[in-house]
Amino acid sequence: MPSNKVVSLAEAMSHIRSGMSIAIGGFIGQGDPLTLIDYLKTMDVSDLTIYENDGGYRDRGTVELVEQGKVKKLVASHVGTTPAIGKAVNEGRLEFEPVPQGTLAEMMRCGGAGIGGFLTPTGVGTVAAEGKQIITLNGRDYILVPSLRVDVALIRAHRGDTWGNLIYRGTSRNFSVPAAMCADYVIAEVENLYGIGELDPEEVHTPGIFVDAVVRANIGYCVVREEPIVTNGKV
Amino acid sequence: MASNAKEIIARRAARELKDGQIINLGIGLPTLIANHVPSGVDVIIQTENGAIGVGPAPAPGCEDRDRANAGNQPITLNPGGSYFDSATSFAMIRGGHLDATFLGTLQVDEEGNIANWIVPGKMLAGMGGAMDLVTGAKVVHIVTEHCAKDGSPKLLKRCTYPLTGARECDVIITERALFRRYPDKGFVLEEVARGYTLADIAACTEMSYTVSDNVKLDAYGDEEES
Repeated sequence: MPSNKVVSLAEAMSHIRSGMSIAIGGFIGQGDPLTLIDYLKTMDVSDLTIYENDGGYRDRGTVELVEQGKVKKLVASHVGTTPAIGKAVNEGRLEFEPVPQGTLAEMMRCGGAGIGGFLTPTGVGTVAAEGKQIITLNGRDYILVPSLRVDVALIRAHRGDTWGNLIYRGTSRNFSVPAAMCADYVIAEVENLYGIGELDPEEVHTPGIFVDAVVRANIGYCVVREEPIVTNGKV
Repeated sequence: MASNAKEIIARRAARELKDGQIINLGIGLPTLIANHVPSGVDVIIQTENGAIGVGPAPAPGCEDRDRANAGNQPITLNPGGSYFDSATSFAMIRGGHLDATFLGTLQVDEEGNIANWIVPGKMLAGMGGAMDLVTGAKVVHIVTEHCAKDGSPKLLKRCTYPLTGARECDVIITERALFRRYPDKGFVLEEVARGYTLADIAACTEMSYTVSDNVKLDAYGDEEES
């Protein structure tokens, strides 16, 4: 029987310490792991480096951690939907490294796949190439991008089982799949928790091998609430 | 007036679409293009946050937070559509699987350089998926009002803001004119919208361009009600 990775929110989040690097799934609110982010808001940690597509949506999400001063550096592709982040950057309160969206996704995927780096044509001739090595292959210029490994990943799924097999819903899948691959410790909040064998193996998006801890999402943040038949999860 | 200009741009841009194309529309003005797809033309819309086959907006009350586009507007999916993760989405985009993209911009210049993600010290949006889109899509359309809000030109000799893409723009569509870029000639003025003259365009365009021998004057209006 695969192990039961269901733990309390406090136990899962106790792996986060000041100075750590964290990858976060979600896309301007779609699939953002708000249960985990809300808990992080209550923790006494600082100097975090966060890798995420964006900073959340409006005043909700990682932007709240930035406003609390917990974040030293944000590596993201788009912060246009969280004006407070642009303000923090322009006021020198936050270090910001812009990365093209596809490059960020591939950095995470490669980091989780044991690949040291990759060659992308995206951003040649722009700031995305600054400080990076350019490699010419078959007549085309590519940027050599090192892959990403982080300490912790925070993701959200629509369904999960007790071993951490995950199924996402609609466009909430986005960065949770690559983020789950690149971290030493992966925490998934799930809207609907199932027992082993209760998810259709044909439908699993993130196999449980990538996941270290499963916690229940705050019911208030669930998009579609099901009534799972948890038969062997001790919840 | 401004929103009218956006509608004019979207309507003209939609006439660039060819049946069967797979396209990605940027946030804002480009999204309006979906409302003007000519009859008889069927295109497949990809959205970089992870869906292809984007259909009409849902009826009021039927919105679903797990079904939205890259601008967070609620979507539906047409039959045959699918959802995927971001790494897969950008395999489509970077990998050359999209026929065309339509993006707004802050600046575009005569070499086809595009700048649309930051005004240093003032506006910080980030490039999002735009750098990948201009690199990977087969045809890159810039859809933009001809001049900035203060009346200054947006079609420049040289972009002054940090670039999104170097030499990536193929077509510029504004409410006043359409320019197409050719490898040997640079940008060529091919259409001037009704209400403007060649001299008007020259006066509000900083980038250099040539005027097509077959330039279409009084354009944009003929298929308005298609």
